[in-house]
Formats: sequence, structure tokens, C-alpha cells
Amino acid sequence: MAFNYDNYLRVKKMPTLWCWGCGDGVILKAFIRAIDKLKINKDDMCLVSGIGCSGRFSSYVDMNTVHTTHGRTIAFATGIKLANPDKHVVCVAGDGDALAIGGNHTIHGCRRNIDITFILINNFIYGLTNSQTSPTTPQGMWTVSQKAGNIDPTFDACELAEAAGASFVARETVNSPKKMEKIMVQALEHKGFSFVEINSNCHINLGRKNKMNSAMANLDWIDSITVSKKKYDAMTKEEQLNLLPTGVLKQDTEVREYCEMYEEIKKVHQGERAKITQDDFEKKI
Amino acid sequence: MSTVMTAPANTPVWVDTARCKACDICVDACPAGVLSMQQEPTSTLGAMISVISPDACIGCSECELSCPDFAIYVAEKKEFKFAKLTDMSKARQEAIASNGYRLPTDYKEVN
Amino acid sequence: MSTREVVSSGNNLAARASVDAGCMFFGGYPLTPSSEVMHTISDLLPKVGGAAIQMEDEIAGVAAAIGAGMMGVRTLTATSGPGISLKAENLGLAQMCEVPLVVINVMRGGPSTGLPTRVSQGDVAQAKNPSHGDYKSITLCAGNLAECYTETVRAFNLADRFMQPVFVLLDETIGHMHAKAEIPTVEAVKAGIVPRKTFDGAPEDYRPYGVAQDEPAVLNPMYTGYRYHYTGLHHDAMGFPTEEIETCRKLIDRLFQKVEKYTDEIESNEEYMLDDADILIIGYGSASLAIKEAVNSLRSEGIKVGMFRPITLWPSPEKRMHELGKKFDTVLSVELNQGQYLEEVQRSMGRLDIHKLTKTNGRPFSPNDIIEKVKEL
Repeated sequence: MAFNYDNYLRVKKMPTLWCWGCGDGVILKAFIRAIDKLKINKDDMCLVSGIGCSGRFSSYVDMNTVHTTHGRTIAFATGIKLANPDKHVVCVAGDGDALAIGGNHTIHGCRRNIDITFILINNFIYGLTNSQTSPTTPQGMWTVSQKAGNIDPTFDACELAEAAGASFVARETVNSPKKMEKIMVQALEHKGFSFVEINSNCHINLGRKNKMNSAMANLDWIDSITVSKKKYDAMTKEEQLNLLPTGVLKQDTEVREYCEMYEEIKKVHQGERAKITQDDFEKKI
Repeated sequence: MSTVMTAPANTPVWVDTARCKACDICVDACPAGVLSMQQEPTSTLGAMISVISPDACIGCSECELSCPDFAIYVAEKKEFKFAKLTDMSKARQEAIASNGYRLPTDYKEVN
Repeated sequence: MSTREVVSSGNNLAARASVDAGCMFFGGYPLTPSSEVMHTISDLLPKVGGAAIQMEDEIAGVAAAIGAGMMGVRTLTATSGPGISLKAENLGLAQMCEVPLVVINVMRGGPSTGLPTRVSQGDVAQAKNPSHGDYKSITLCAGNLAECYTETVRAFNLADRFMQPVFVLLDETIGHMHAKAEIPTVEAVKAGIVPRKTFDGAPEDYRPYGVAQDEPAVLNPMYTGYRYHYTGLHHDAMGFPTEEIETCRKLIDRLFQKVEKYTDEIESNEEYMLDDADILIIGYGSASLAIKEAVNSLRSEGIKVGMFRPITLWPSPEKRMHELGKKFDTVLSVELNQGQYLEEVQRSMGRLDIHKLTKTNGRPFSPNDIIEKVKEL
């Protein structure tokens, strides 16, 4: 297993600027293993990241990389992908970037089902800017913007992605590197919007003030709030409360991918086919 | 292009101390008491990873997979004959994990 | 240059110009009175193998356009005032990352929701500084129907030359004007395309942002074996984030110097009947059409008026205006806003005694407005 990760890393940038034990590095590692497994050429991939600790992902991979404005990862990626649909586009963003300021773009990336692999690194907090509440911070936890205790409710990002139309939705945690790698391979292979939520540990900004002062304690907590989809589906609604299912939660290979549909638009305007009508879509149902 | 690094000869597991941030995760992940943190005043958190019992390594690669900093590597199964997991290794790991991920200085191996 | 006669509207000409100038991507959002640019280009682009996408909001519209620009193609977004306000942050990113982008702003009554279907020139000051931080603007303003075409073509070439966003301001009157226009042929436009510089040496020698202090970045298209990094943070020669003192100082200086040193390539003005004039009128966009009529009418009454029309608003023709300020005692600034370019005229001429005619009720200037004002002076 002596894998040469350096082949995919910007070696001069090592060591990373992430805190000791931060899950971001483990996710980066799994991602590299997945890319290598699929034999994707570094030159054929563009990795787009947002603002936050996870946003620094793009500095470390040796590919075409873009570090965008806060929340706009998927919007930039949509332009990058549509301008050259044959190449691979991957987005990496955190829970604040993708679900707060970028919530709208997440919804529409899923809705369009454009062939992008979206890795949402959910560490349940705003890490880079030091401990503000994010849309996934559990209620009752201490955050720097809600020192009296967080009253903001949370939501399940994977459920949002499913409802918005992503054709591949999955969740894994940093506790299971091999499973993470497997799901990333599936996500990258899937043609359509692949939404992958990875629960990660931020023991420095979330854990420290919430009784999880070490990477291990934070990782144990993530273990306690996640459960395999199989077990989750067999639970009652009460048992499911505050738990997140892991594994592949949705995979639809029938629904059409956006860039493929846009090729049909080109054909219409180039006189190679008739205009697209409702019938073209009704037949698929 | 091959992505498999040439491992140092006859080594089951090796570390890159320039990259290690002493986060303890690999020591926690190891089932066989192969690894231990050691005091290192000039390094992050004043500690550094050390391979203390390479002969006990079973090649499970949990350390490599869970290291966030590309600082620890395990040889390929076909390159190295790894050990089996013994009670002695498990006991040593127990001692390391309950001593702040450092092997107690007076530790005596349990047979 | 060979030309052809067409009958079209300002917005449609801007869309057609984009495609003729090699634009292959449009990202935008509907906003009155600019939507026709999107409608037209949505049909034209797929025809030539390009892509147009209506995104979920204004911010996503420009983000997608910039993404395509990073990928390596000529790219466009079109909107009106409120959309520019929303796009501000990403325009700053495009400037910082040096991504060529053309931004068409069909100006309407503002601020806020304002007068969506009516004219103003209220986004001129905004075009100078759309983003937070220091921003060196290149802003062109079409003053007639044909310029909706020619200035858009010029904008694409300037964007690639200077590696940054270029604004093309149309006011609503010009954007919706529908009449005959004489414009260059497609062949003439294609012959004049000057694409962005690229590096064709060894990838290990490539330094996209490691250029001379008066040069723009050299950004190779993605996926061609030259891997580098885009970030809105201050960055080094490869594009990686840095806070190093000298690198940071030189970066912002260079974003300004790359334009300031070559304003002669960007400056463009029209001077109408200035030689023997006693009164100078300064105006741009649709106001200039009324000004010209007023000049002709006043001249027939023996009042010697002339017009100076900046076509490139930013960087401003400060040197030329400074000279004119010495030559003319009476200077009148005419604009459909509260005096946004007036301030630039005052600054360039070093005078506070510039007369102004402003209008912000969503109606265009009539020649009479200007004739009456001149007679008051």
C-alpha cells in the first residue's frame, strides 16, 4: 500500500495549513486514492473550492484549481463545466459555504443535475473564521456567535440534495477512509450531479468548547450521530431523530444530465433536430 | 505512471517527520502498539511520531489511511511479510492509548 | 473597413457583436432592460457551438461566466444596475484573478428597484469601482446604435489584452433603440480579433502571474497541461495565496499599472464642432444624441457650441479634458444622473465651476432641455 500521494499533491505546499488531526487531510487523501483508482489524468480535471478551511483543498491538489468567492463554488463550476463538458469538474465546499451563503447554488446545481462531483465537507461549524454557527451546528452547542447556546435548527443536507434533484447522493464520515474512497469513486463515475457529504472533525473550533477537545473525541461524536442507511431505514422516527444515514442514499442513472441535454439544444440551433418539447421529457417518465 | 512509491527496503511502516503534526490519530488507530508519540520540543505540540515496534506491524494500513498529513506510509502486502496480531501487541497498544498515546517509560512487554 | 447595414436594437447588436467577436459563453439572469441580450445570445451561441445559461441569480450568472473565462473562452454577462450591485464581489475576483470578461450594463433608473423600464446613466460611478478594494476599471459607453456593436467588439479585444473585466454601458434608450445601423462585417470583426496571450514553453517554466509590472497575467486555458491556481486572495507567480509583503505590494500596483501605462490603447473620444466653439458640452451615451441635435440647433442661431463625448469613460480622458478645460471658459456637463461624470470633469480640469444639467426621472434628454440650459448660461 505504499501509495505515492505526492504524484497528485503540490508537494511544495506541504505540510498543509490545516490543524493537527483535521479531517480535511484525510478527505484529501481519500480523494487522491479515488482519482488514482479511476486513472483520471490530472490535466483533465478542474477542482473548484469555496471559502473556508475546506476551501484550501484546491491549493493542495496538482490539477487545474480554482478558489472562488464564498458560496459560489457550484456557480463557477457550472460555467467551467458547460464551457468544456468533456472534462471532469469537482467542487469542494464546507457546510457554511455550501448551505448558508451558497445554499441557493447548491439547490440549483442539484436541480440541473449537471455532471459535477460535489464534496461537501460538513464539520458542523465555521472553522476558518473561528467557531461561528453554521446551518448544521447542533442546537445547544457553544459557538462564538451564540455563546448562550445555539438555538438555530439544522437540516439534513442530503435530503435537500435529493429533493432538489441530485441524481447521486451519499454520505460518509472521516472515520471510514476506505468507505469514503469507495463512495468518491462511485460519485466520480456517476454521470450527473453527485452530492457527497463527508462528516469531518473540527476539534479546534467545534470540539474544544463542546467537550470534544481532541480529534479522537470529535471523531467518536461523529460516529455516534451517524449510522448506516440500512440500520437507519429500519429505525422508528424517534430513533432516527438527530442521526444521519451513511452510504449511498440515492442513485438515479435514468435522469438526464444537463450538459447532455445542452448538446441537444445545440443540435436544435444548428438545424439537426426539431425543437425540444414536453413530449421529449414525458417519454422518460 | 506508477503511483506506487518504492518503499524503504524491509520496512513495514515509515514516517515523514517533516509533515507530522503530532495529532495522535495514527497511534490511536493502530491495533498493534507499533507507534508512539515522543517528546520533541521543536515540533508541533512538542511531540513527534515514532515507530517503536515495527516488527509488530500487521499491515492493516489504518495509520496511513487516517493520517491527515501524508506523514505515515505502510508497505505493500506483496513487498513485506507483515506480522500477525498478538496479545502482546494488543496489550502494548492498550498501554500506549491510555497513556496519552505515549508508551510508558517503564513499560514491560506482556507475553 | 467593410461594413453592412442592419436594422436592429442596441441590445441585440450587443449580443450579435459578442458572438461575432468570438464569445463562446454567456452566463446571466433576466433583468430589465437588459434581458434581450440574453434572449438573443441564447439562440446565437449554441448555433456556433457555444453555451448560454440562465443561472439562478445575478451572482451565479457572472460566476458561471467567469468560470468559463477561466476555462479559456471569451465570455459575457449582461445585466442592469441592480445586477451589477449583486455581481460586485465576483467582478472583484475577476479583476484580482485577471480573467477576461465583458459585462454589458443596460442602465435603468435607480437606485434600488428604481425605474426598471426607463433610462438613466446612473451606474457610471459604480462602473469605476464596482467592487470593494482598489479596482482599475475599463468602461466603454455606447453613444449610438452602431456603437452597441462596435464597442462590444472592442470590449472583447480589450478584455483579452488587459486580462480583466471590461464594462460596456448602454443606457436603456440606446439599448432599446431599434433602427438602421452601419456596422462592420463579420469578416472585418474576425480579422480584428486579438486573442489573449498564452505561454507555450515548458510547463515547469510557466509563471502565469510572474510577469513584468506593466503586463497582465498570461493565463493559459485549462486542461492544456499548464496547471496553476486561481484565487481571489493575494497570490504569487503561480497563483497560490500569499501574504508576503513585496508580492502583495507589487500585485495591486501591477493591476493598476498594466492599464495606466497603456491608456492610449483604451482611450476613445468624439469631438464634435469644438474648433471654433465658445461653449463646451460634455456628455455620453444617449445624452450625446440630444446634445448633438442641440449643438446643431444652437449653431443655426449663432451660438457656437461644441461637444466632447468620451466613449471610453474609464480610464477617463483626463489629459484631453484638462486641455479643453484651459481652452473653454464655459463648460456644461450633461448626464442622466446626479453628476457622476461631472466629478471626473471637475477633477480633470481642476475646476469647480463646471455647469451641470442632470436628470433622474427616467426620461431621456430632449435637445430642447439642452438648448434651454445653454441659453441660461
